[in-house]
Amino acid sequence: MVLTPAQRILRALVAWAVVMLFAFPIYYWITVSIKLGRDIFAIPPKIFSFETSAKSYEEVFGISLGFEKGIAVLPGGGDFYMAPRLMDSIIIAVFSTAVAVLVATLAAYALSRMRFRGQHHFVFWILSTRMMPPVAVAIPMFFIYKDFGLLDTYTGIVLVHALMNMPLAVLLLKSFFDDIPKEIDEAALIDGASRFLIFRKLVLPMALGGIAATAVLCFIFSWTEFLFALTLTQTSLKTVPVVSSTFVTSTGTAWGNMAALGTAAMLPAFVFILLVQKNLVRGLTLGSVKQ
Amino acid sequence: MVTRALKGPRFMVSDHPLPWLLPLIVILVVFALYPFFYNIFLSFHEFAPRKRALVPVGFENWQKLFADPRMWSAFYVTLFYTGVCLTIQLVLGMAIALLIDSDDRGFGFLRGVMTLTLVIPPAVTGMMFLLMQDSQFGLISWTLQSLGVLSPATPILATSSLAIWGVILADVWQWTPFMVLIFIAGLRSLPRDPFESAMIDGASAWQIFRRITLPMMSKVIAIAVLIRGIDLFRMFDYVFVMTSGGPGTATYTLSLYAWQQTFSFIKWGYGATLSLFALFVILIAANLFVKIFKVRW
Amino acid sequence: MRESDRKLFLASVTDRYVRGELSRRNFLQAAGKLGLGAGALGLTATLPFGARQGFFNSAAAAEISPDADMMAWLKDVAKPFAGQTIRLATESTPPSNAINQHLKPFFEEATGINVEIEVLPLEQVLQKLTLDVASGLGTYDLYYLDQSWMASFSGDVIDPREKYAASSALAMPNYNFDDFLKPLVDGISMYEDTMVGVPYDIPIFIYMYRKDVYDELGLKVATTMDEFLANAQAIQKAKGPDIYGTTGQMKSGHYSLECDWTAWLWGHGGSVFGPDSKFSGNDDAGLAAMEYWVKLKENMPPGVTSWTWDGQGQSVGQGIAGQVLSWGEFFPSWDNPESSRVSGLMEAAVPPAPKALRTVGETGFGEIPGVGHQGGSSLAVSKYSKSQDAAWLFAQWATSADTQVFITTLGGGTGPTRTSVYDDARVKANAKPGIPGTTRHLNVVRDTIDNHMGSEPDLPEWAELSNDTIPVELGRFFAGEYDNPKAAMDSIADKVNKIVAG
Repeated sequence: MVLTPAQRILRALVAWAVVMLFAFPIYYWITVSIKLGRDIFAIPPKIFSFETSAKSYEEVFGISLGFEKGIAVLPGGGDFYMAPRLMDSIIIAVFSTAVAVLVATLAAYALSRMRFRGQHHFVFWILSTRMMPPVAVAIPMFFIYKDFGLLDTYTGIVLVHALMNMPLAVLLLKSFFDDIPKEIDEAALIDGASRFLIFRKLVLPMALGGIAATAVLCFIFSWTEFLFALTLTQTSLKTVPVVSSTFVTSTGTAWGNMAALGTAAMLPAFVFILLVQKNLVRGLTLGSVKQ
Repeated sequence: MVTRALKGPRFMVSDHPLPWLLPLIVILVVFALYPFFYNIFLSFHEFAPRKRALVPVGFENWQKLFADPRMWSAFYVTLFYTGVCLTIQLVLGMAIALLIDSDDRGFGFLRGVMTLTLVIPPAVTGMMFLLMQDSQFGLISWTLQSLGVLSPATPILATSSLAIWGVILADVWQWTPFMVLIFIAGLRSLPRDPFESAMIDGASAWQIFRRITLPMMSKVIAIAVLIRGIDLFRMFDYVFVMTSGGPGTATYTLSLYAWQQTFSFIKWGYGATLSLFALFVILIAANLFVKIFKVRW
Repeated sequence: MRESDRKLFLASVTDRYVRGELSRRNFLQAAGKLGLGAGALGLTATLPFGARQGFFNSAAAAEISPDADMMAWLKDVAKPFAGQTIRLATESTPPSNAINQHLKPFFEEATGINVEIEVLPLEQVLQKLTLDVASGLGTYDLYYLDQSWMASFSGDVIDPREKYAASSALAMPNYNFDDFLKPLVDGISMYEDTMVGVPYDIPIFIYMYRKDVYDELGLKVATTMDEFLANAQAIQKAKGPDIYGTTGQMKSGHYSLECDWTAWLWGHGGSVFGPDSKFSGNDDAGLAAMEYWVKLKENMPPGVTSWTWDGQGQSVGQGIAGQVLSWGEFFPSWDNPESSRVSGLMEAAVPPAPKALRTVGETGFGEIPGVGHQGGSSLAVSKYSKSQDAAWLFAQWATSADTQVFITTLGGGTGPTRTSVYDDARVKANAKPGIPGTTRHLNVVRDTIDNHMGSEPDLPEWAELSNDTIPVELGRFFAGEYDNPKAAMDSIADKVNKIVAG
C-alpha cells in the first residue's frame, strides 16, 4: 500500500499506541518485581515512581546483587536456585519445538503436495487430537509414562509438548506450503530430482518464513504449558509455569518473586522469538514461478 | 534451469505419502488415540474411594451428565466465553496485524513486543489480572473507579454480571497477539502481484482487503479460528486462578468442572465423561465450521 | 545427588561458613564432597554470598545446630537406608519451606537418605496425591495431608503409632507422642480410630487487631461475638473507608469461604451436620450465624468476595482493616516492615466466646465446634511407598521437637504442634514486635488450640463439600443470587444431603 507521509506518521502513532497498550501490563508486572512488598498494593497505584529493590530477584535466583542477604525462609518451593529451572524450560521448549517442527514439516509437505483418499478427514483427525481437554489426557499419560519410565524426564515432557503442538504445526505449515506454487515441484520432478531433494532444496527455503512463525508458536505453547509439566514431573525438572505456581503459598502470594521469575523468564523466549522472526521476511515466494 | 543442479540420490522418489506421514502417525496414535480410548473406558467406570479401584457403572455417568444442571451451566458459560473471545480476538487481531505489518522503521520492534504477552504462562497472566482487577488494590479497578465507571461496591471478579468480562479481558490481552502473529505470517507469505495490479486499477484499501487479502488469507484465518476456538473451549487456567468459577457458577467452565471432578473429588469416571462431552461438542462445532466455510485440506 | 540439591546443600554450607559457624577446613571438606574446589567457590576472591548479616531473623537462624544426640541416632539407625530417595509433595507452607531450604541438608548429611520435596499450592498437592493413591504406584513416600482430606486418605497410610510400636529399632528416642497438643491429635490426625499422620503444622483462626486503632477509639478486646461486631462497626464508622471494621476471605467457590463460614456457624451454636448426619447449617443457629455474618460483612472492604486468605492477609497488611478473625500464620508477615504497613501495630487475642456451642455429640462426622477454626495438616507415611522405613525416619525427624524449634524460629508464624516447642527458650526469644519471624502471637495460638479450637467434620465427601458445594452456594448468596439466607442454606442442605447419601 502506498501511503502519504502524513498517513505513515499517523499509522506509526496508532501502531505505537496500540502496542504500548498491550505492553503496559508487562511493564506493570516488571515494576512489581522491583517494588517493595508494601508498595505493590499502594493506592493510588505507584506506576512510575517507587522505591526499587532487587530483593525479589536475589531471592528467586539465590544470588547476591550486592545487597544484604541473610538466611531466610522464602516462599516458592524452596528451590530458590531458579537458574537451572529456567534451563529446564529452555531445554524442553527448544527440543519439543524441534521435534514438532521436524515431524510436522515432513507431514505438511506430503499433505500439501500429494493427494490421497481420505486426506481431508486425515487432516481433521490430526486437528481433533488437540480437542481433548488437557485434564483428560494427563491421567492416561501419567500411567503410560510410569510404565515406560518417562515420568519426571525431559524426554517425556518434550514428547508430550511436541504432540500437543502437532496439529497447529501441521496445519499452519501445510497452509504455508500451499502458498508455494506446485509448478516448482513439478518442473523439478520432470527434471528428475527426487521428492526429498525438492523438499530440501526448493520448498524448505521458500517456506522458511512460515516455518519460523510455526516454531515461534510451538515454542510459546511449550514455554507456557502447565498441566502436563505439573502432572508428569516430580522433582528432577520443573518448568517456569510450574515454579511460578509455587509462589502461591498458605500465607499469601509472593507477588514480587512471581513477577521476578516471570520477567526473567520472558527474556529467553523473547530472544528466541526475535532470532526466529528474522526469517519472517516478506514475499519469499515472489515471482519464483514466473521466471 | 535451476533444477538441473538438483540431481541427487533417488531417495523417496515415489509419491507415496506414507513415509512422510509415518512419524506423525506414530506419535499421534501413541499419544492421542490411547488417551481417547482410555477416557471412553473411564467414562463407563467410576473410582470407588473405599476400594481404591475402578468399578464399572454402565451408562450412569452419561445419564448423570445430561441431568446435571452444573454441567449445563458450565456448558453455556464455556460457549459464551468461547464465542465472545473468539470474535474479539479475530477482529482485533486482524486489525492489529494489518496495522503493524509494515517495513517502516520501528515496526519490527513493535511486532516483537506484541508477541511478548504470549510468553507469559496463562496461570501467571491470571494472577496478573487478578492483581490488577482487585477492587481494593488493583490498577484496573482503581482507574475505572476513579473515572466513575465502576462502583467500588461491585468488585469486577466477584459480581455475577462482570466476572466473566474480567476473565475475557485477560484472555483477549494474552491471545490477540496470537492472532496477530499468525495473520502477519500469513500476510507476509502472500504474493505481491495481485495487490500491485489492484492498486494500479485504483482499488480502495477496503476493496483490496475485502476482495484480495481476505480470500487469500482464508486458510490461515480458518486455522487460527479453529486452533483458538479449540483452546478457548478448553480454557482452564484463567478461571481457576481468577474466580474459582465464581461468583457462584458464573464463570464455571467445562474444563474447570472436569478438572475438579477428576482431581479434587477423585471422580475419574465423571471427569472423563465431562471431557469426552467437551470433545464431542468441539468436534461437531469444528466440523460445522469446516463445512460452512468450505475448508478443504 | 541431583544438581539442584547439590546447589542447595552448597548454599546452606556456604551460609554457615559465612556466618562463621563452620571452620574453613570443614567447609572446604564439605565443598570438596560436592566436587568443588576452592577456586570454583571463589574463595580466593569474594564470596558468592554477601558476607554481612541479613535483615531476616538471622540471629535465630544462625543457631541451626541440631540436637547432637538425635543426629547421632539418625546416623546410626539410617545406615541400611543410605542412598535411598524419599519423596514428599507438600503445600508451600512456612514449615515445608524451612525444611526444604535450610533443614533438609542436615538430615541428608546424617542419614545418607536423599529427600526430594515438591512444594506446591494446596490444590496441586491434592492432585498429585490423588494420582498417586488412585494408581497405588507409590511415587511419593510421604503425604502432606490437609485436615480436610483426612478421611479420603485414611486408607492409604500407615498409622504412625503402630509403626512406632512395631519397629522399635526405628523408633526415635524421646519422640514422645504425648508431647503433641491433644486437641490437634484429635482434630487433624485422627480418623475414626486410626491415626492418619503425625501433626505437622497448625494454622488456626485467632483474633488479631490493630492496637493503635483500638487505643485511639478506646475499644476493648472483644470477648463475645456481639462485641466483635460492635468493634467492627465502631471502627468502620470512625475510620471507614480508609480503615474498614474487619475483613474476610470470601471468594466464591474457594475453600477459604467455607472456613470463614464455619467460624461464625460454630460461634452461634450451629454445626455443619447434626447427629443424624444431615446438614444442619439451615437451622435456627445456622441462620443466626448468617444474619451476623451479613452484618459483619457490611464492615468489610467490598473486595472480600474476591479474596481468599491471600487478599485477606494483604488487606490487613496494607492497614485497611481494624481487626480480623483469621489464620494466626499471618501474624509474623504483618510484623515484617518490608511487606507490611502495620509492622508492630498488631496484637493477637483468643477468639471471642461463642454465643452457644454444640458438643461433639450434637454434631455429625466427628465435627468439633469452636470459633478457632483450624486448618492443620499432618505428615503421613504412604502405604504404597517402597522406602517406608526411610520415610518414617524423616517423618519423625521433621516432627521432632528439636526440628520444630528451628522451623518455628526460621519460618515464624507457623504454629508448632508440640507443647515443648511453645515453651522452648529459643522460640520465646523471638517473641519481639516488629521483626519478620516473630513468635509473640504463639501464646494466643496455643491457648486457642487448647480451649477454642474448631474442627471440620471428617467424611470422604468432605473434600467436595468444603471446596465446592458449600463455597459455591455461599458465593451465590453473597453475589445476591439468593433472596435470603434461608433460601441459600436450604439449597445447600439439599445438595449436601444428596451428596452424603451418595
